[in-house]
Amino acid sequence: MSKALVLACGNSLRGDDGVALEVVNYLRKDYCDPAAEFRCQQQWTPELAEPISQSQVVIFVDAAVGAPPGLIACRQLQPSPGATLTSTHHTSIHHTSMHQTSTHHTSPEFLLHLAEEVYGKRPARAHCVTITGESFELQETLSDAVRDAIPRSAEQIKALLFEFAMPGD
Amino acid sequence: MSKTITIDPVTRIEGHAKITLQLDDEGEVAEAYFHVTQFRGFERICVGRPFYEMPYLMERICGICPVSHLLASAKACDALLAMKVPPSAGKLRRMLNLAQLIQSHALSFFYLSSPDFLIGMDADPKERNLFGVMRKHPELGRGGIRLRQFGQQVIETLAGKRIHPGWVVPGGVNESLSIDKRDKLLAQIPEVIAIAQKALAWFKIEFENFREEIRTFANFPSLFMGLVTPDERAGYYEGKLRFTDSHGNIVADKLEPANYAEYLGEAVEPFTFMKFPYYKPLGYPDGIYRVGPLARLNLVENCGTPLAQQEWVEFRALERGAVLSSFHYHYARLIEILFALEHMEQYLLDPIITKSHARYSASLNNLEGIGCCEAPRGTLIHHYRVDEQGLITWANLVIATGHNNLAMNRGILQVARHFVRSEKLTEGMLNRVEAVIRAFDPCLSCSTHAYGQMPLQIRLISADGKVLDEICRESFSPEA
Repeated sequence: MSKALVLACGNSLRGDDGVALEVVNYLRKDYCDPAAEFRCQQQWTPELAEPISQSQVVIFVDAAVGAPPGLIACRQLQPSPGATLTSTHHTSIHHTSMHQTSTHHTSPEFLLHLAEEVYGKRPARAHCVTITGESFELQETLSDAVRDAIPRSAEQIKALLFEFAMPGD
Repeated sequence: MSKTITIDPVTRIEGHAKITLQLDDEGEVAEAYFHVTQFRGFERICVGRPFYEMPYLMERICGICPVSHLLASAKACDALLAMKVPPSAGKLRRMLNLAQLIQSHALSFFYLSSPDFLIGMDADPKERNLFGVMRKHPELGRGGIRLRQFGQQVIETLAGKRIHPGWVVPGGVNESLSIDKRDKLLAQIPEVIAIAQKALAWFKIEFENFREEIRTFANFPSLFMGLVTPDERAGYYEGKLRFTDSHGNIVADKLEPANYAEYLGEAVEPFTFMKFPYYKPLGYPDGIYRVGPLARLNLVENCGTPLAQQEWVEFRALERGAVLSSFHYHYARLIEILFALEHMEQYLLDPIITKSHARYSASLNNLEGIGCCEAPRGTLIHHYRVDEQGLITWANLVIATGHNNLAMNRGILQVARHFVRSEKLTEGMLNRVEAVIRAFDPCLSCSTHAYGQMPLQIRLISADGKVLDEICRESFSPEA
């Protein structure tokens, strides 16, 4: 059972949409803790509810639309079947609220809710880290501002993981 | 006064399909049309690309069944190279296909359709969703998630990732299966077989509550088509094509998939982008046939694995000839999940599965190649032509869902005629029109793969354009 689960979502063929995958690749080289599991997904799907239910902390990493490019945002999440991720200027692009729930992709809040509903457990803490993208066109490269944000977002995730790993936490 | 009812969109995802019901002067349904309003154009996109790119271009057609396109495309490329693949690669490809079938069928049955069975066709759509299933039958819900998860896990273990893997290549696969990975998969098989058996046991009792739907959900005589192996089993990865009729008699047998153009025609209609394949000797539209799980179980003489065989015998006993109701696609899906799990275990126990030599190479030897396999929804054919440099000059794809197009349209008509009786539209009527489509599990670039409530709109419009009645399902949160 993994204690910390980092879930990245994105499509590397759509420019900055793939930034979360790059963040996790960066972390895999930089963060060695057997209690942490890193997964890359193209979509949030209901099957993730099971590993989420078995984790004590879950960090969702995703690209976001909005401005400015490279902006990193981190929010603590609560389970909700119909919640949206929309904030004033930050919207994770792999999220749909329940009214758009599909078998392709759901929201992190929905997955937390599903974990609790189906498996009777949910992580003690869950966060969503988003990096605002600039271009989501068909390309395999990241824009400069977004690429520059990778080390900083990785540091932020590491800080969350360290915080979790602290004795007594 | 004739009137028209439009359901638009059928899907909540991309709005690529709609249904029109035409009423006659007496208010009875006269015609029904299933419009697929999207156009993908993959057959044109690939022109000019090197043939060896095709498997990876073609699998992008779909996020639910990319493996099917990957395999059919790789087989077409094998034909261009005029080569067979190594024995280990052949078995690994077959196993990948079975994993795809498991995860896709689990999605269709448990995520999309089980709310109808458990919560009820007429139930409040706010309850008729995955959460409703979890509350009413948590074990079934967890089992469905587990089966889909297992199918995806096998795909990831073999092919590197769950969606759009690139592991299957012309000439074989690009990495063999390690003993360690094989053992991890094998260890899970008993658990997932038990889940499939429990789901089957539950559904065989449950479907007795749906006699009216069984009687009216695309329940009519038609041909059935699918790949059959020499030992009379469904050929998910290989075999020759067989057509049977509604009595279970063989109409045509041992047809080479590569000669599909000789016996399959493709008609077009102005109201949809989806083509209408038909059996040429009977003409259009009399050459209507069905493919997919129901067809496969109707075509064969045996199922091929012990537990699935028992279930298949019971299934075929439902009717004297072929099982005709498309409602039983659901039942057939569960039997195929069981078969796939058992067959996968057989492959995993075969020592050849971990042999390291998994790919042959060759140069271009043919200028035309055709690949065929059974996708979860039915027979899938990829047909390519290339120039001397190996660049694609022409491509034709005969998609599994397309084969069922005539049957889906006729099925909607049958359901609508039975349930739409007046100018007043009801939620139960709307859901049953959707549910007959759901039974076929069409893959309109995944646009019908939604669970929970679809935001549908049905309008009843008089000949002079006046809206007589309208029912709209707003999107919702299940606990709102």
